[in-house]
Amino acid sequence: MKVSDDCVGCGQCAAYCPFDAITVFGRAAMNENCTECGKCTEYCPVCAISEA
Amino acid sequence: MKAVVIGAGLGGLLAGAKLTKAGYDVEIFERLPFIGGRFTNLPYKGFKLSTGALHMIPHGSRGPLAQTLKEVGADVTIIDSQPMAVILKENNEIISFHDFRNELTLTKQVKLGTILAYSLKFKPKNDISFRDWVLKYFDDEFLLKLADSFCGWALSLTAKDVPAREMLEIIDNMYLYKGSGVPIGGCGAVTDALSQIIRSNGGRIYSQSCVEGISIENDLAKGVIVNGKTIEADIVISDIGHFGTSKLYECKDKEYLDKISNVKPSKGIKICLSSDEPLIGHSGVFFTPFAKRINGINEVTNADPSLAPPGKHLVMSHQAIISDDRKFEIDLGLLDLKQLFPGKKYKVLLIQSYSNGWPVNRASSGSDNGNKTPVRNLYIVGDGAKGKGGIEVEGVAIGVRNVMDEAGVC
Repeated sequence: MKVSDDCVGCGQCAAYCPFDAITVFGRAAMNENCTECGKCTEYCPVCAISEA
Repeated sequence: MKAVVIGAGLGGLLAGAKLTKAGYDVEIFERLPFIGGRFTNLPYKGFKLSTGALHMIPHGSRGPLAQTLKEVGADVTIIDSQPMAVILKENNEIISFHDFRNELTLTKQVKLGTILAYSLKFKPKNDISFRDWVLKYFDDEFLLKLADSFCGWALSLTAKDVPAREMLEIIDNMYLYKGSGVPIGGCGAVTDALSQIIRSNGGRIYSQSCVEGISIENDLAKGVIVNGKTIEADIVISDIGHFGTSKLYECKDKEYLDKISNVKPSKGIKICLSSDEPLIGHSGVFFTPFAKRINGINEVTNADPSLAPPGKHLVMSHQAIISDDRKFEIDLGLLDLKQLFPGKKYKVLLIQSYSNGWPVNRASSGSDNGNKTPVRNLYIVGDGAKGKGGIEVEGVAIGVRNVMDEAGVC
């Protein structure tokens, strides 16, 4: 998944990620657990996540 | 009569509940998969974190939000915090918030009483900031730090960014309503109770439903467009702020567009901690005026243990974002926590920051532009159109009340 500069770091994606694949520190970043399932895109309030 | 609400955040839900109670047929459209916006729970590792606001209602069980919840019949229990708030002094002594006066010289204490009484009655009309107001009358280091800590905690701003006029309205409300309280079940209990009221009154709330446009004829709102279909309405209420709303129709009022484009959202960072032992020991606000960045902390599990797994405490710190470097600001916040709770074992659960398109407040306190738009029957609610002197969600409730008065809804 790709995270754009619009990400504010609210952590909603991390909380709803079924694979614990997102860490947040001022902005979201996917780790090696990411399966590209795309669940996070639904929960992003600023539409900052898209498929890589 | 038919009402359509754009956005199911606290403002949209409060407005929806009021409207269904008044007999309107209400439909609410929410873009996200869940209801409640930045005022609901965020389940995380067994904890009930929050999507935005802390699990706190600034004026507790007596304030404008609590009153509005009662009016619509929403079943929410708010536990008023006792103590309301404490202040951590530079020497690590903890004093009750009400005793902050004792930290001033006797002359300044007397002056504070007089100046405050006068200023609350005759609020400054010019653009003086709260920081300059404190400097002008007191020039006191402790008061300046406390002002920043309070403004940072309550408004996510520094005292220099808050107009003194707005801060005095807030102080007025603090005398009137007192503060603060924890809703049992967290923010989510409030927005869930409102959703229930709306649905039991026949209203409908749709998640993952995006409003694509607002249909307008002769400067009068006629409905909204969802999935290419127009849904007609007698009144349209938007909970996505003035700017976001103006993007949903062709707004020709240049003066209005200029005014709403200049509004700056407030930005902040919340650090959520898990601890086996209590770090604070009560559910009141723990103000930290001498920390580098953190403005205040609360430990809501003292009021509602169900917000954390058994045996754990949920502690949340809040800080306004000062520089443009979010990571630097977070590092300073984490360092503050280490210094505030030396030797204490706690775990950082999640660090959440809010700015720009998903801010603390869409319109920072004192910069709100009211609830009206250039379009008749189109109103704005939420944290982009708070009422005067309303801290956070209290301002949202006052804003909704203003819209209902304006639109003639009882």
